[in-house]
Order: sequence, then C-alpha cells, then structure tokens
Amino acid sequence: MAKRGAPRRGKRPATKPPQHGKGRCLHILRELSAYIDDELSGDICQEIRRHLGACPNCEDFVASLRQTVSLCRHSPAPALSSADRAFMREKILQTARAR
Amino acid sequence: MDLMYRFANRLCGEPDAAQDLVQETFLNAYRGFKKFRGDAQISTWLYTIASRACLRMRRRRKGAPERELSLDEFIPTSEGEFRLQIPVDGLSPEEALQNKELRQALDAAIDKLPKKYKMVLVLRDMEGLGAKEVGIIMGLNERAVKSRLHRARLFVRRELSARGITDATDAHDHERLK
Repeated sequence: MAKRGAPRRGKRPATKPPQHGKGRCLHILRELSAYIDDELSGDICQEIRRHLGACPNCEDFVASLRQTVSLCRHSPAPALSSADRAFMREKILQTARAR
Repeated sequence: MDLMYRFANRLCGEPDAAQDLVQETFLNAYRGFKKFRGDAQISTWLYTIASRACLRMRRRRKGAPERELSLDEFIPTSEGEFRLQIPVDGLSPEEALQNKELRQALDAAIDKLPKKYKMVLVLRDMEGLGAKEVGIIMGLNERAVKSRLHRARLFVRRELSARGITDATDAHDHERLK
C-alpha cells in the first residue's frame, strides 16, 4: 500500500515518501478490523496510528473500511408486513400440526 | 418472528426465500425444542437453527463448493482503490444510505460474499451480535469469527470501491425530503 508515495528514480516524489516498506502496510491491513473494533492493545493502536500518519494510502484505506462497516451497521432492515406475519404464522402452525 | 425474518432476508436477499427459511427455522425449533437446554439465549438458539437451515438450503440449490477469501486479494493495486468512490463524505451513514444506488451496491456486494463469510458479516455487523455469540451460532472459535469478518468487510469495501457511484443527485435526496 506504500505505492502512492513511492519515490521515482531521478525525480523528487510528488507526495510524501513512505517511512516504511510494503510489508508494514500488509501487517497493518491484517489488523484493521480489530483496530476499528477497538480490540487491540494501546501499544498496537499507537503503532497503527503512527503508521497511518505516515502513509496516506493506508489512512485512506482505513477510512474506507470504517465507512463500509458503518454502512453495513446502518443498512435498513427489511420488515414483515402484518399480513405476511399472520400468513407465515398460520403456515408454520399448519405444517407443524400436519407433521 | 420479525427478528428471524430480518436475519433471513439479509442472508437470502429475497423475501420469498427468507419466508421459506423462517418457516424451516420455526419448524426445526418446534421439533427440537426438547433439546434446548436453556444455557444460551433463545435468540442465539434460533439464529443457530436458521444458519444451519440456510446452509442446507444452499447446498440443495448449488453443488459448487464455497471459495475461500484470501487477504492478498484485497491489497489495492492502483491509486483509485484506496478510497470508496461513493458519495459519503460529510454524510451520516443514514443519510448516505438514502441514496438508492448506494443501497443497491451495498446489498449486491454483501450478496456476492461466499455464504460462510456473509453469515458472519450479517450476524456481527448487521444484527449487532458479539463475536462470542456468532462463534456459538456458527460453531467457530472467536479467532475464526474475527478472521472471517475481516475478510468479509474487505470484500465489501473492495466491491464498493470498484463500483463507483457518482450520482450526486440521488445522494442528496434527503435534502429534498427536509
């Protein structure tokens, strides 16, 4: 994920160069759900925050993962109409009696 | 019944299949009630029965084995893949989800998940259950639940990122509703 800021040979990079290698980003990627869910120890959280501050791509990535989780959590729940509820209850009772 | 219907609809993605699953769940619960020891909440027990019934129904419909999701496939390879190309900035999730196209994209992304990953995502992030309870329902340890959840989230994130929703008019429907 360090790709965005990777320095090009002979040219000054347009964006801030990464302070780390790609391996660090992959290590962070593995921990992101636990990070979002606040399941990691303070030390690891601090390490991740430090990395995110230095790696704009990882920062974008974690923001997009947070948005995804938030959308899932708030996705509207389909509801049964009272007519469907009554119909299903009747169907279940009929089948149970028949067995 | 409403709880099970909501769960079934989220798992199956269509009302008719959801109704079949609810019916199957309650009939299995009725038959197996003597086996319910009461050491779990009744909702956990019903979720367990529904999850098993759903996997059985899936096996009856399709014979293809489910694919495993690898973390490597979620590593972005181009510049545009790090962010979501959808209009959510500055909006609450409820406001963002008033965009029909976004709702459809989210539903389609979740629907594309292999079932065992979808089940974990639905139970954990949509039904709001804890990892331990999801583990009981799916017969997994917490570590496996968290691993599947992470892959499922990365999958949905990638689908939303790849899709790209640019229709800002629809995104701001809520403004007109005020």
